[in-house]
Amino acid sequence: MEKTAAPPGRPRRLPLWANPRLGLVVLLVLLVAFFSILRPAFLDTRLTLTPLQSDISVYLVVGLAQLSVLSLGHMNLAVGRMAATSAFAMGLTHDKLGAGLIVSLTVGLLVGALLGALAGLIISRTGVNSFVVTLAMDFALVGLITILYASATDGVAFPTMPAGMEALRFDTFADYCLGDICGPRIPLVVPIALVAALLVGLLFRWSRLGREILMTGSNARAAELSGIPTRTRVVQAHALSGLIAALAGFLLAANNGAFSAGIGDSFLLPSFLAPVLGGTLLVGGAVSVLGTVLGATLTQVIYKGLNLLQFQLDQLQLYIGLVLLAALSLDRARHVLAERRGAAP
Amino acid sequence: MTLTASSRVLTTRDSIWRAPEFTLAVLAIAGFVALAIATGGNLLSAGTLEAFFRFLAVPIVIGLSQMVVLAVGQMNLSVGALTGFCAMASAWLMLEAGLPAPIAVLAALALGLAVGLANGLLVVLTRINGFIVTLATMTIIQGLRYGVNGPDTYQGYSEGLRAFGRASILGLPAVFLVALVVVVLVGLYFARTVSGRKLLASGGSPFAARLSGISNDRSLVIAHGLSGLLAGVAAVLTVAASGSVNATIGDDLLLPSFAAPIIGGVALTGGMVSVTGTVLAAFLVRLVDVMQAQFGINPRWVDLIIGAVVLGAVLLGTARQKLFSLRPGSPQPASAQPGSAQPDSAQPSSAQPGSSRDEERRSP
Repeated sequence: MEKTAAPPGRPRRLPLWANPRLGLVVLLVLLVAFFSILRPAFLDTRLTLTPLQSDISVYLVVGLAQLSVLSLGHMNLAVGRMAATSAFAMGLTHDKLGAGLIVSLTVGLLVGALLGALAGLIISRTGVNSFVVTLAMDFALVGLITILYASATDGVAFPTMPAGMEALRFDTFADYCLGDICGPRIPLVVPIALVAALLVGLLFRWSRLGREILMTGSNARAAELSGIPTRTRVVQAHALSGLIAALAGFLLAANNGAFSAGIGDSFLLPSFLAPVLGGTLLVGGAVSVLGTVLGATLTQVIYKGLNLLQFQLDQLQLYIGLVLLAALSLDRARHVLAERRGAAP
Repeated sequence: MTLTASSRVLTTRDSIWRAPEFTLAVLAIAGFVALAIATGGNLLSAGTLEAFFRFLAVPIVIGLSQMVVLAVGQMNLSVGALTGFCAMASAWLMLEAGLPAPIAVLAALALGLAVGLANGLLVVLTRINGFIVTLATMTIIQGLRYGVNGPDTYQGYSEGLRAFGRASILGLPAVFLVALVVVVLVGLYFARTVSGRKLLASGGSPFAARLSGISNDRSLVIAHGLSGLLAGVAAVLTVAASGSVNATIGDDLLLPSFAAPIIGGVALTGGMVSVTGTVLAAFLVRLVDVMQAQFGINPRWVDLIIGAVVLGAVLLGTARQKLFSLRPGSPQPASAQPGSAQPDSAQPSSAQPGSSRDEERRSP
């Protein structure tokens, strides 16, 4: 389900095998088979699959945060710091005010959305490149977060977490039984991420707001002339990115078991990997939520598999980079091939 | 001086104070004087001043390394990791392979050039956005950098090289003078050589460049190769000046590599470079660093301040631009500021990095 600004029903359909999503699924199946043969522990539910699902959930949401601005052809380099700042706000709300899970989460999401909106506002008012604005914001927030944590806590993390975060961290649906029927071994964070993906998908597919954001990304001038308030749409897309980044920060805090200053440090690369592998272009105007889900799954499967094969840190990075380049090149080759076939008749 | 493919130098007397570099130069001098006064002249003492310039060398070269790829509308996210990798490789050659320092230095430069060319070839052959390609190669290079010596530190290599790192000529550190030579060479390359002008033409308008018989693909490969070579130079300067290297070298260089050209007024859309601006911006960032050290400020404030400075410089540039374009009869300044592709309307379409749209269009 690729969402472009053009009306559904593209004039020239690419053949099925040229669908990048299908390629990702095939690659995913091959990799899972490969890792399972080498290390049967890869299919162990408790040791591998359950933590893997938690990781995928976090990085899916991180990818969605980047996707929200890629729809405009913009970038959000501060995605990790927005998550960290929001996580700080959540921790502070709980630690100092004694607020519960829902209130803390809401405050955090609000902070994330405001940060995103601020970035969007600067971009849309000044016309400065989004790369520069969010890079500067990243610089600024990096400093701010350490200062905030140093002043509000005695170290790098809040000592307490709202009630319920522990359940999000350790519990799976198998721990909740209705009589004899227990749920599958799926962590509680998975549905949160899936709902987020679904909402973002619906937004870009069906809502007026989402379509207008895509229009703006596709051709800002045409959008402006069609009566779309493009500046407002830019602010809204960036606010959405900040909001989703805050959710990613919350999920990672739940997985790690603490609101810490290190949240978001590792977000930047995966945030681009998931949407780009999934076929979202950097130029804007088209997004693929399903592709982002697959892209996030693929990257985390590779990480987990190489981890199980006991690769060292350096080799892990080396192979991730190589797999990434190979996947992107294959995708590109398939696309070119498909276009040639399509253009021939 | 601001260099584009069409205008060589801003020559008229009237436009000198209008050049974006003018603001930066004033800021740099004012900042330096203010800091010298605030530290009670401590900044001007021989030792402090020497340290100031010694650790200015690498930021300048790494900023130029990023600027070269920005000239063709690309980005190179792997500059920091590559600097670290080249530094580790040259230290390995000296300590483990027992090669003399000059060969290790040349090998580091060659390695940087080779990796840079590989980046360029990948961008050209796969037609994937340069941002994504260098993101991937950055990860690979980080792995290689760690693979050279694991978490351990190399030290005690070539005495001659370290002596060079400590040496001063007329009160200025030798490494800084090397950086200045590199600055002049890069400036001459873009101002005077055919190859450099072609890079700017490709960055400014790939379509027009192709119609003029310029190979955009070649420009991309050259720009990435040059960027890698400059990262190699930064690596050699790091090895010489620091006296010990480990696998974390270069981690903190990526953001400054963007900060210097962007504050210096280089457009991300390509086709325009400012060597002077980049150098002045690196100087400004270094001033903030020294201020932190002199007053014992929490180092984290530095990031906050640099972030504010980057944004402030860009906004100031845009404001200046608007001011000048509002004056009746004044010539429209060359598109010399980021985000000024459409000065009067904040169209988000200009706010996409690199020539990715062109890449998509150029795909077969």
